[in-house]
Amino acid sequence: MKEQEKEVEKVFIGGLHEELVEDKVIDESQLEPDFPDEIKKYGGKDVMTCLQCGNCTGVCPISLKIDYKTRNIIKCCQFGLKKYTLGTRWVCATCYRCYEHCPADLNPAEVMIALRHIAVREGIIPPFIKTAATNLVKYGQSVKPDSEIDKIRSELDLGLIHSQDPEYHTVIREIQVLVHATKYDKLIGIQDEVKV
Amino acid sequence: MGKTRSAPSTQPDGKSGPRIGVFVCHCGSNIAGVVDTGKVREAAEKLEGVVVARENRYTCSDLGQEEIIKAIKENGVERVVVAACSPRLHEPTFRKCIEQAGLNPYLLHMVNIREQCSWVHGHEKERATDKASALVSMGVSKARQLEPLIAREVPVEPTSLVIGGGVAGIQASLDLANMGFKVYLVETQPSIGGKMAQLDKTFPTGDCAICILAPKMVELSRHPNITLLSYSDVEEVKGYVGSYEVKVRRKARFVEEDKCVGCGLCSDACPVKVDNEFDLGFGQRKAIYVPFPQAVPLKYTVDKENCLHFKSGKCLLCVKACMNKAIDHKMQDEILNLKVGTIIVATGYDTYIPQRKGVYKYWEYDNVITAMELERLLNASGPTGGHLIRPSDDKPPKRVAFIQCVGSRNKKIGNNYCSRVCCMYAIKNAQIIMEHDSEAEIAIYYNDIRAFGKGFEELYHRIREDYAVEFIRGRPAKLSQDPVTKNIKIRAEETLLNKITEREFDLVVLSTGLIASEGSKRIGKTLGLTISPDGFFMEAHPKLRPVDTAMDGIFLAGCAQSPKDIPDSVAQAKAAASSAAAPMFMKKVWIEPLTAFVDENLCVGCGLCTELCPYGAPELVQSEKGGMKAHVIEALCHGCGTCAASCPQKAVAPQQFTDGQLYSELQAALAEAPRRNGAKKKADAEVS
Repeated sequence: MKEQEKEVEKVFIGGLHEELVEDKVIDESQLEPDFPDEIKKYGGKDVMTCLQCGNCTGVCPISLKIDYKTRNIIKCCQFGLKKYTLGTRWVCATCYRCYEHCPADLNPAEVMIALRHIAVREGIIPPFIKTAATNLVKYGQSVKPDSEIDKIRSELDLGLIHSQDPEYHTVIREIQVLVHATKYDKLIGIQDEVKV
Repeated sequence: MGKTRSAPSTQPDGKSGPRIGVFVCHCGSNIAGVVDTGKVREAAEKLEGVVVARENRYTCSDLGQEEIIKAIKENGVERVVVAACSPRLHEPTFRKCIEQAGLNPYLLHMVNIREQCSWVHGHEKERATDKASALVSMGVSKARQLEPLIAREVPVEPTSLVIGGGVAGIQASLDLANMGFKVYLVETQPSIGGKMAQLDKTFPTGDCAICILAPKMVELSRHPNITLLSYSDVEEVKGYVGSYEVKVRRKARFVEEDKCVGCGLCSDACPVKVDNEFDLGFGQRKAIYVPFPQAVPLKYTVDKENCLHFKSGKCLLCVKACMNKAIDHKMQDEILNLKVGTIIVATGYDTYIPQRKGVYKYWEYDNVITAMELERLLNASGPTGGHLIRPSDDKPPKRVAFIQCVGSRNKKIGNNYCSRVCCMYAIKNAQIIMEHDSEAEIAIYYNDIRAFGKGFEELYHRIREDYAVEFIRGRPAKLSQDPVTKNIKIRAEETLLNKITEREFDLVVLSTGLIASEGSKRIGKTLGLTISPDGFFMEAHPKLRPVDTAMDGIFLAGCAQSPKDIPDSVAQAKAAASSAAAPMFMKKVWIEPLTAFVDENLCVGCGLCTELCPYGAPELVQSEKGGMKAHVIEALCHGCGTCAASCPQKAVAPQQFTDGQLYSELQAALAEAPRRNGAKKKADAEVS
């Protein structure tokens, strides 16, 4: 189970083009021509304006560390290769450097955000996102508090962490109400954690 | 030949007014594909005064025009309404057509049911049909009010003004002068030659630019029909086609042109050295100078900004050196008043200057230069005598990179267009560098290579095969400078390899694009020319009238209209010359009578129109009936309607756009007619 989870995490972060490498021929059945419109619906700009100059890949700080090519993803979006683009964009830090340099005035970072929206709605959710969401409704923050953090906080004289705050339970409840009202819990699949 | 109905031989009883013919055009499927033209015709038949209503597949065709002529001759049609395309396209066609049938050409009204109806409402056919009917109804209503007008003939001065002395201006001047017309060539710089004079070689043939340009410059300066006004600016242009009045400022060059022989003794004596703009700051010149050795006219110019005499009141070494006593520091600007029939605008382009905080660090790194700077460094008459060196250490570079599309094809900076010449000049310069030094390594970072002209693709092949120049498809993302060697490292994605590459170069050349020149902007305002979104001058029609402007008698040549290479600039200059020659050969032109006229009985002489008119057309004159009255000088009036809108007495109006005519159109538009039912039904359905 642990191994399998690791494998999934790896695909969600780094192994972007495994399918692309395996597919020797891309035929029409794999293309979804409406995909650029769907991206626009979720807040991305028109990917068809991209000239494929590669400036975004060159300035991307992530691309220096792992095999991540912004330009390639935009090309897949233009082409309508939806299945290659979903579930793997979480690695983008949305630093907006690509937007700063893009001569086509496209905003690749926002396209990445749109792709995440689409992926989540299609049920393609990486496990670490689920974990973070669970932490949010349980502890009021996306990182699980532990004794190590408490120690550092006390050393830095930063006061109580939320879970030790007297108002803590009210805060958690408010977060849960919000999460429930916006149906975020259902979207991510953490209904069981929310007790409203 | 379209459907017809038998026309009533007389108009319906009790109705007076002109007999109107309506002709609805299908324009193939351009209109009929959306608008139900049969319905439009049927609705038109029912309108007051309409005696003939026909449809045609193409009303502009000979068959369509014959039908209009027939209707005028056989059915006694007195006003013609053509529901078709924009009047900008075929109004002249149909005016000539009805004139042929004996009607006054201004008894025509065109209703635009293509650009303003079928093309913009393609997705809602029923409502488009309703709109077309409404537009026709308005047109018929206006046609009823049309009055015959007479076009005015004006003489054309057989003299042309050419603004800008680059290769386009030079060619246009020579062509017109060779046809026998007198030409004034105005150039703001001390010498003609323009940007072409700065270039080293030209693509794709590798001809030396100044070697092929200089003979033309010399020919121009010696041509008896050409008056060369260098170091001069066009300040003001008034008038209209045939007789433009032009005010030219001859800037004081502090050297009398007829005395100066261009010997250069003054320059040798001058103690001041400044950067030479012609060499883009790489070379130096004196404060009394010619910009380059082949300058035409070869007359020296004192640079007032830097001359010691203007700073301290002393020096005058040049005056002592000059044997012809040509130098006069007290010279003043002169104003010349010219009268010309036609004008050719050849104001050229500026090269894009990279942004100060830009990615390519042009302002920070010495070894990042622009392509025009490279041209000067490669040029045999340039600051280095044609030896390529890099700015940081004056050593010849071994590894050179070209970065394409700097300042072009970039929405961020607002230059969306392709500058058309950068691909080829980079390839050409790569070849020249390889010829200088066969050991050099050259890489060209490109997005797309556009080798579209005659011989271009062949040069592109040659440079890859014979010189092994490397082409990297990708826009560089980051440039960094080695602090010691001053070499430049370029990081870019090689998009075809899908890999990020990092490489070091000795010299980086930015292939900067072309932008509309500062001079163009000034001249554009003086002449009132239209500017395209890209900043260059707009032509009258992008395909069919590429050298005309919206102003009669003013033509465009060269890069003032859009980025071009030398052959295209020359070709357009020749086209502009022949277009400008046409009215000058005819010695007369017809001016549209759509000008404002004043009803003297209503005018109270308040003078508001004389203040507001952008063309200075109305003036107050003593009336025979007593008192001051406005009078419109027709030759100056453009028919814009500013006077009519402002007149408190409604005493002035442009012909064919009188209040009566516009109100009759409005009434037809607002009338509740049965043809609106379709639209109403749909609106009701949407509500329910």
